[in-house]
Amino acid sequence: MIRSNVSAYAQVNATTRALYATLLTPETWRTLVQAGSFDALLGQLEKTAYGVYLKLDRQILTPRRTVYQLRWHLTQAYEKLIRLTPEPARQLIIQLWRLYEVDNLKATLRGVETGASWDEVRRLLSPMFRYVTLTNEHIQRMLASGSIVRAIERIRHTPYYETLVHAVERYETEKNLFPLEVALDLDYRRGLWQSIASLKGMDHEQALRLVGTSIDIDNLLWAIRYRVYHHLSVQEIINYTLPFGYQVQDADIRAVAEGADVVTIVKRIYPGIEGLDNAATQPGEEAPPQQRQLASIERALHRHTMQLCRGTFLGNPFHIGVQLAYLMLLEYELRDLIAIVEAKASQLPVERLAAIIDMEW
Amino acid sequence: MSKVELVIPDQEVVRTTEALAASGIFHQIPTAQTTIGMPSRGSNEWQTWTTDLVAVERRILFVMEELKIDEGAPPATPPHIIEPRVAERDIERLEHEAETPVRELEAARRRLTQLQKYVGQLAPIADLDIDLGTLRDLRYTFVMLGSIPAANIERLESSLEHVPFVLITLRHEGHLATVVLFGLQQDATVLNRAARSAYLNTLMPPEDYRGTPAQAIAALQAGIERTRQRISEYEMEIAHLQETRIRHLRHLLWRVRASHTLANTITGYDHLQHTYLVTGWVPRASLAWLEQVIAKVSDKVVIETLEPRQEDIGHIPASLKNPPFFSGFQGLVTTYGQPNYDELDPTPMMALTFPLVFGLMFGDVGHGLLLLLVGLLLAGRKIKALQGAAGFGVVVALCGAAAMVFGALYGSIFGFEDVFRAVWFRPLEKITDILLFAIIVGVLLISAGIIYNMVNAALNRRWGSMLFNRNGLAGLIFYWSLLGLGARVFGAAIPISGAILAIIGVLSGVGLTFAELFAHLVEGHRPLIEGDAGTYLALAFFELFETLISLFSNTLSYVRMGAFAVAHGALSLVVFIIAGVIGARGSVGYWIVVILGNLFVIGFEGMIVGIQTLRLEYYELFSKFFSGGGMPYRPLSLIPQAGKLNVPENAGG
Repeated sequence: MIRSNVSAYAQVNATTRALYATLLTPETWRTLVQAGSFDALLGQLEKTAYGVYLKLDRQILTPRRTVYQLRWHLTQAYEKLIRLTPEPARQLIIQLWRLYEVDNLKATLRGVETGASWDEVRRLLSPMFRYVTLTNEHIQRMLASGSIVRAIERIRHTPYYETLVHAVERYETEKNLFPLEVALDLDYRRGLWQSIASLKGMDHEQALRLVGTSIDIDNLLWAIRYRVYHHLSVQEIINYTLPFGYQVQDADIRAVAEGADVVTIVKRIYPGIEGLDNAATQPGEEAPPQQRQLASIERALHRHTMQLCRGTFLGNPFHIGVQLAYLMLLEYELRDLIAIVEAKASQLPVERLAAIIDMEW
Repeated sequence: MSKVELVIPDQEVVRTTEALAASGIFHQIPTAQTTIGMPSRGSNEWQTWTTDLVAVERRILFVMEELKIDEGAPPATPPHIIEPRVAERDIERLEHEAETPVRELEAARRRLTQLQKYVGQLAPIADLDIDLGTLRDLRYTFVMLGSIPAANIERLESSLEHVPFVLITLRHEGHLATVVLFGLQQDATVLNRAARSAYLNTLMPPEDYRGTPAQAIAALQAGIERTRQRISEYEMEIAHLQETRIRHLRHLLWRVRASHTLANTITGYDHLQHTYLVTGWVPRASLAWLEQVIAKVSDKVVIETLEPRQEDIGHIPASLKNPPFFSGFQGLVTTYGQPNYDELDPTPMMALTFPLVFGLMFGDVGHGLLLLLVGLLLAGRKIKALQGAAGFGVVVALCGAAAMVFGALYGSIFGFEDVFRAVWFRPLEKITDILLFAIIVGVLLISAGIIYNMVNAALNRRWGSMLFNRNGLAGLIFYWSLLGLGARVFGAAIPISGAILAIIGVLSGVGLTFAELFAHLVEGHRPLIEGDAGTYLALAFFELFETLISLFSNTLSYVRMGAFAVAHGALSLVVFIIAGVIGARGSVGYWIVVILGNLFVIGFEGMIVGIQTLRLEYYELFSKFFSGGGMPYRPLSLIPQAGKLNVPENAGG
């Protein structure tokens, strides 16, 4: 088994390690965070692995377009690793990649609702051209449909149709995209969980540890957000969250839904987690304490996941964990880069920006 | 090609642009290249036209989709221009006509699905003698009949842990389940919110359907019948609309597209206060005709013919005039680069050398025959899905024919080397001979490339380059004198003595070393050398050395042709060895391996040989004479390609 894993993962591991070396260093993060302007930020980004995607006329590189170009790096990394990863683990990476398809679908539905054109929507999407079920043509047809119901009819032969067509009844009565988006999120994570379950041995163990933790964190944060921002009932919170997880159990979700102290729950699930001691008193925006606490928890959980990912690069590397860890780290990197781009474009002070990003710098 | 400049009064711009497009010969130059060098000022009005017409085009396509009408073929003659507001009014009327039946049809279809669902849900309780109305108006009990994703059932039950309830699953259908949720009326709010958040869609028939389930089902069936009838009425109405509006919609679509192209073209003109300045290229022979066409449109348009200037070189569009038979080879050439206006089109040379090189590497009568048949099938456009590859079919067919000829020379058919005698020799038996032959072919191809380059230089009156360039006369003499010396060393009988060859080599070498100086001298450029003499001499020496190395490596590159001819024979031999291991000659296993092995050789080795042939053409031959930085001749046309809105995107965005 180990010997077959060694040969199966040899090439993809070499590639992943080469890609891992291109992740931004703390020094680069420091330079990016402290860039004096949006233009200066672009100048710095051009020197990184993202530079190749930013070779466009500066006038074209608006903040929105810059974000779109940066996403290309993730696209290429995913496409490369999907191509090189052996089956059945490959299916898990394809399923992970579909998260961006789900996000594109959600952005398209928002575009349909606001009557946006393809030109207005296209740069908000993640560029995806391979290993997709929802093509640009689908998206253009959805945008041209004029209504959510019709838009959904236009993706009849995609895996999202069944989920959306059932949930659209609620959209029609409530005129709110929330039920559609939640239905998509839950359905996507169910698929992801099944992909993990279909793996065996080290691959299963590592996928559960990394992707399972990521699912746990999403689930936990959803529950907290539904309580803090949406003020949903216990039953609604439970129905809008997942019944499975790696370390987060149903009892934890129920406790959050019933109003238990969130920091205590998080500390119980992740005993070694850092950055939660003064969660409600963290510096930041002039937001209510509960929302500031949520931001701190989110940041602490993300940092915890990043630590898990980095740890995967030590020890036996011949399993899917290495690829998953790299992709998850790259996603965190991109998320923070987007935050920096938006912050520099809106001239947010460095100290406010520092409170937003998860990366160490 | 002649360069023309038109001065068009504002009021004549539409008619003149239409006439220019209709002429089919006018290649417009973007404003940045105009001779007067003024920045484009465009007209805001035309930019607004462009934007508005794109929106109208989308609306037309949308209505066409609703009515299931396709775009149809582009019209033979350009349609008349339409103003955006006229087009908007037109499409608005059509939208209004189509909207009611289309929306009603969609609603009726949804209603039909819903009614069928109600019937399906009530079926399991059809024999119950309970009035459905009583279920709705229960005072103490909460009842909800509905469909829910089966994956959500467990979650719903879990969410209601602290609320008394009963959830009964009636049936499963795909990923959905039909359930009845019972609870206390006092918990209705909690139960409703929980059910809604679990995506439990209620299926209780509307209040119109009262009585027992059986009675409700009967009423629902009647409703289904009525809805079906309505659907068929709406479908007929839509079919009628489709029939009566198809021509109108298609015509409007192409008018809008033509108008969009026209507006876009005018936006690209230079604009002065009351006139537009338009520059472009026209074939010299058609110039007088264009003047007549424009004179018919308006006598106020001024046409001036300009002689191409130095700065135009490299920007003159070139149209490739090859017989349709060569289209596949032309495609391979333009993949490398578009020939310049003032250089020879390498398509004929490629059509000659590509099959030759391929055949030399892939010599087998049987394999060649299969390729020939596949090529003829493609070229004959017999398979609808492969009609786009018809031009490529000729390439495949010619390669197959060449492979057959070399197969006969090598005595090989489907890998069998004992069926007939080789007309020439078998590469596996005379490896040195085939490698030597490959080098000779390579030498001839390299020389042909150099001669092509000399012709190109002569056409451009670059006499210095023609005489002294490494790919010019000096280079060719230098190359052949070295080849002669080399051949003498290996004992070949050369009618020219070694001393004479050496003198010729040295003289041409001197010509190459000081190529820049001599070229400047011949062409009258001054100063004769750039920079100081010491640097020039050092650079000249290294360039000569580099020329020597590259000629040597270019020639050796062609050895691969011989190597592939040997590999082809060896690979076939391997197939027969494996076949022999599987079974005795003549057995089923033997023949299966032989057939599969041959298919593998054709597919796998054929592909590799194809790539190698392309590589030799592009890098060893084209690099000698073909710059490929030209601009294709694209006469202005108001009929754009269909489906232009769905342009795929790339990483560069």
